[in-house]
Amino acid sequence: MNSLATAVWERRPQQAIRIVDAHAHAGPYSLFFIPEPDPGGMLRVMDRCGVAHAVFSSHLSIQADAAAGNALTAAIVAQAPDRFTGYLTVNPWQDPAAELVRWGDDPRFGGIKLHPDLHDYPLVGSRYAGVWEHAEERGWPVLTHTFSGSPYNDLFHVETVAARHPGATILAGHSGVTPLGIEAAIEVAKRHDNVILEVCGSYNTGTDIVRMVREVGADRVVYGSDFPFIDLRMSLGRILFSGLTDVERAAVLGGTITRLLGGNGM
Amino acid sequence: MNKDRPVLIDADALLGRHPRRDVGGGSAAELLAAMDRVGITAALVGNVTSWLHDPARGNRDLLGLVERHPRLSPCWVLLPDTCGEVGPAAAFADGAAAAGVRAVRAYPRDHGYDLAGRDMAPLLAAVESVRLPLLLDAGQVGWPTTEAIAKAHPRLHIVVGGVGYRMLRQIAGVLDRTANVHIGLADLSSHRGLEWLVERFGERRLVFGTGAPYRDQAEAVTRLLWSELSDAQVAAIGAGNLRRLTEQEAKAA
Repeated sequence: MNSLATAVWERRPQQAIRIVDAHAHAGPYSLFFIPEPDPGGMLRVMDRCGVAHAVFSSHLSIQADAAAGNALTAAIVAQAPDRFTGYLTVNPWQDPAAELVRWGDDPRFGGIKLHPDLHDYPLVGSRYAGVWEHAEERGWPVLTHTFSGSPYNDLFHVETVAARHPGATILAGHSGVTPLGIEAAIEVAKRHDNVILEVCGSYNTGTDIVRMVREVGADRVVYGSDFPFIDLRMSLGRILFSGLTDVERAAVLGGTITRLLGGNGM
Repeated sequence: MNKDRPVLIDADALLGRHPRRDVGGGSAAELLAAMDRVGITAALVGNVTSWLHDPARGNRDLLGLVERHPRLSPCWVLLPDTCGEVGPAAAFADGAAAAGVRAVRAYPRDHGYDLAGRDMAPLLAAVESVRLPLLLDAGQVGWPTTEAIAKAHPRLHIVVGGVGYRMLRQIAGVLDRTANVHIGLADLSSHRGLEWLVERFGERRLVFGTGAPYRDQAEAVTRLLWSELSDAQVAAIGAGNLRRLTEQEAKAA
């Protein structure tokens, strides 16, 4: 068994590799109660498991107010820049150009976060034009929420923007979530080199993650947890006990997202 | 199995194929191999046939499926006796106990009945009398119904799994007002939710389970073993609480 799984069984933090969580949030969320959702509680879990770094967007930024939420994200990164990097949330209804201008050169941010389902706006819509321009010019990866069957961010929406913007790196958050969505996400990633599969969600499995890596390569699959929306350990455990090789596991757990961020914010 | 590892008994696993996901062949051998991969000692298993085809046949077949596998113990599926499918309440409960069944599970949403209604009351009383825990999935029954049957049958131990990450507001109220409702670890996925529930209600209210094979067993294993709980709390949740609820040792644990 690999050393990370052994660390789980021995109930000690892993120290073998640098784990970077490519899909995180921070703070409370109105739809349900989250115990200790703030950075202190997040760092406790990261330290318990041996997770070095998390790339996140505050819940405030994706829920009520992108401007206030992006400011909160920046403030959290400023408190612990060695542990956190920010995603700049762009809400298409809340002056997206202003957010890109305000934060587009700030080293606390390393990528852009889109959540079309929460904002009732399709990933392919023109209000996101500045996002793709920024992503292609600056090399910031764009993490978008995806969900199979969604009218706003299904995998065919990802395919459309990937084809329109071949210079943009697009992280398909949750890889479609459901078994059907995971199937579609793999197919889209096979057709578009600029689509990266991010693996958090309630229905993914280690078996599916191994299949993703076999189909598109470990340099196109990244670990994310969605914490504190969902506990960090759910997605992490699937990867630790999966049938990936040690080299593949290290790439998925941190190497790939570190390369994609290219030093931005990390 | 490494004796130094915590003992884990999975109270939430199924044998059989799944019609909406590739989970392999669903055999006992496959489940046991998957358990070994993540370090699970034993499991309480149901049969997909009982859930998604014919409860009576699935229950009968399950005894044969686990017969030669001492690490696996059977869990039967309940139905009201309104149509004579699984027999009268007392006969069902006595038959389950005599057959070595360690728990029962209900699918009221998928099987189309009211768990808290008059049709089910005799059966719940019967399984309460033979001290078989009732396993439920949160997607099958609402919290008001769970609370109602817990109060109507105070010696019936109820374990609700599959609670996800959106239910702590409801869970906390029900756990506060009852003593016989427990939460399973399959997809117990609120950030720090396990630690919060243990701190507030004690480790005796949590029961290890995985939701296999639809869910990856590694989720619950990692969640529990990498928790901020003590080794004693992990031992209780991993195996001790289920043993206490079933009042007998799982066959191989």
